[in-house]
Amino acid sequence: MRGRFGLGAAVAVALCSFVVAACGSDSGGGGGGGGGGSSSGSSGSSGGTNQTAGVKKIDPNSMKGAKGTVTYCTGKDTSGATHAWIKAYNAKKTGVTVKILEFPASADAQRQQFIQRQQAKSGECDIFSSDVIWTAEFASQKWLYDMTPYIQSRKQDFIGAPLQTVTFENKQFGVPETTDAGFLYYNDQKIKSTPATWQQVYQQAASNGGIVYQGAAYEGLTCDYLELLFAAGGQVLNPDGTKSAINSPQAVKALQLMVDGVKNGTAPKAVTTYMEPESLAAWETGKYAFMRNWPYAYALSENDKGSKVSGKFKVVPQPAFEGGGKAGILGGHNSVISIYSKNPGAALAVVDYNTSLENNVRNASKFSLAPVLAAAYDDPAVKKALPFSAELKQAVAQAKARPVSPVYPQISQAIYNNVNDALAGRQSPSDAMKKASDAINKALATF
Amino acid sequence: MADATAVQTTGTPTQQRRRSKGLSERRLAFFMVAPSMALIALVAAYPIGYGIWLSLHEYSVRVAGLSRWAGLRNYSTALSDSEWWAAFFHTMIFTVCSVSLEFAIGLGMALVMHAAFRGQGIIRTVVLVPWAMLTVVTAVMWRTMFESPLGFVNNLLGTNTVWLGDEPYALIVVILADVWKTAPFMALLLLAGLQVIPSEIYEAAKVDGATAWQRFARITMPLLLPAILVALIFRTLDALRIFDLPFVLTNGKAGTSTLSTIAQETFASNRIYGLGSAMAVLTFIIVMIVSFIYIRTVGGNIRGLAEE
Repeated sequence: MRGRFGLGAAVAVALCSFVVAACGSDSGGGGGGGGGGSSSGSSGSSGGTNQTAGVKKIDPNSMKGAKGTVTYCTGKDTSGATHAWIKAYNAKKTGVTVKILEFPASADAQRQQFIQRQQAKSGECDIFSSDVIWTAEFASQKWLYDMTPYIQSRKQDFIGAPLQTVTFENKQFGVPETTDAGFLYYNDQKIKSTPATWQQVYQQAASNGGIVYQGAAYEGLTCDYLELLFAAGGQVLNPDGTKSAINSPQAVKALQLMVDGVKNGTAPKAVTTYMEPESLAAWETGKYAFMRNWPYAYALSENDKGSKVSGKFKVVPQPAFEGGGKAGILGGHNSVISIYSKNPGAALAVVDYNTSLENNVRNASKFSLAPVLAAAYDDPAVKKALPFSAELKQAVAQAKARPVSPVYPQISQAIYNNVNDALAGRQSPSDAMKKASDAINKALATF
Repeated sequence: MADATAVQTTGTPTQQRRRSKGLSERRLAFFMVAPSMALIALVAAYPIGYGIWLSLHEYSVRVAGLSRWAGLRNYSTALSDSEWWAAFFHTMIFTVCSVSLEFAIGLGMALVMHAAFRGQGIIRTVVLVPWAMLTVVTAVMWRTMFESPLGFVNNLLGTNTVWLGDEPYALIVVILADVWKTAPFMALLLLAGLQVIPSEIYEAAKVDGATAWQRFARITMPLLLPAILVALIFRTLDALRIFDLPFVLTNGKAGTSTLSTIAQETFASNRIYGLGSAMAVLTFIIVMIVSFIYIRTVGGNIRGLAEE
């Protein structure tokens, strides 16, 4: 009898151990959810403490005549875009050779890999391809070279918005590589004139089949909601990033528009479970008048088998909000140089090429990655590959960065959980913003 | 030989031999068990201990490498968090519903598979297919089925229900997916139990005129009880730790958060290592309590039956 009990207990212990063990390892997970890219940037946070005082500045002249080998660390190069530019650069035989070090595809895992190296003061990654959402956080840890002098020399070449994402405490800690911004897609068989405001979008949608977007409780909904919030003139955090500012009349108004849309059937109730693929699938049935999605959906809407919107739609940058302005949400990646790099001059030479017009054009025309340089949008090869390049340029220019904070995941959860509850009718828009605000303040107080 | 003589002079031969043999056997046992104990310590005790250690600290999400002693603060934070309690209740509802449905269906399947008929082997194989599938694949399949409004379930029922976004429905879908996937596992464990019941007992009962129901209630069930206990323990402990189905089906939203999804979100997504570990340890404690209750109550019944 004791034997049986003992055995049972041993089995129980062995099984239970997996509970604890399973949580001891980071399962990575979806990371930035938002198909087109996760994002953020800097809202300045210049007030209060100066976390980057005394960080080494890079000397723009150090790249001239630089020699040696540098390592470029990036997430898994699934499209082949990174291999393409590295091959092109090494073929130039400038005296600097680039090696690629690929991290896993998951955004969380990439961030973790880079953090581990920086904590160990390892110079293994001379350059890291940082999601726009992390750049400020890495800068605040003093892990990156201050690249202000270099950026200043090329400032007029860049579209302004992506530069925001490398800016922290009024200094630039990286160089934008690629960018991304959400589009409004509309079915031009149903909609004859481009709506100027979000209110008009919903009005026109109501009588022409409706609108779909990403309404599931995940990062994508944070993007979709923030686009309206920013357009309405609302903010997530106060200027120095210490308190929530989301419980505002503008925020409630923006949410009310979305909630009314679900209530009166302009958006299907199922939109509360949609991520990018589901909203795209619904849109491709041809039933809906509008879809909010990333640029990647353009080619798919055009070419997917069974797409009933092929040749029947247009894309526009997101409209204004009545009483507010135009906005959008920025995605993409920045090249940052590790403070532990043993050859920052050579690293800068490589970054200079990676962010050159030549490479912007290649990325856009061959791999559909949105350029950060204004001139690239006028290149014939880019215009041919991206028929919507003019709209894309405008969408990027009007887009804004997501809030910058080490607790951004929690802030995003506070937004998407409460917005999703409101969309599903589980709470009122004003309650949702109040709860989101409390949750954000709680998140900001995290040790 | 010389040793043997010496031994004989110092005590009664039987006593002496028993003692020396006992000692060496114990030592031998120790050395034989040591490698497996070391392995268990490595793969089970160390992670548990480390998890508990993490749960007693706070690790800064702002400054890399900064931590401080928290005592039991993480536990009180978790236990005063209404979201943790919501996850607790979802997990309990899920466990009770899924395990009882799996038990009922699994028992039925086991009885069918146990009966001798042509094509028995094929049936046994086919029944196991859901169990052999990866849980994530299962979850994606169920997600597709219950998608709204285009999913096949809505088409079939002619409804427009948002299965994965509305509160009672989402949890029901998670339960159904789990039942579909793991009832075969339950059936397999019960089938193994059925096969060790000697057929003579049934024959004797038939001779004595017992009806089919009587044979089931008075022979099958009592003799199957040990297998049932094992099956229920395995399934209950698994169900209490459910993660992958809600994670893929609903991302733990719409009333499907569980003890594991909330611990994962806290630990991995939000990187609040201390609180996340405390949540994992709480799950561990709950699982321990439930398994002890099982062994105490059902285990006691088995002993009682055996004594009868």
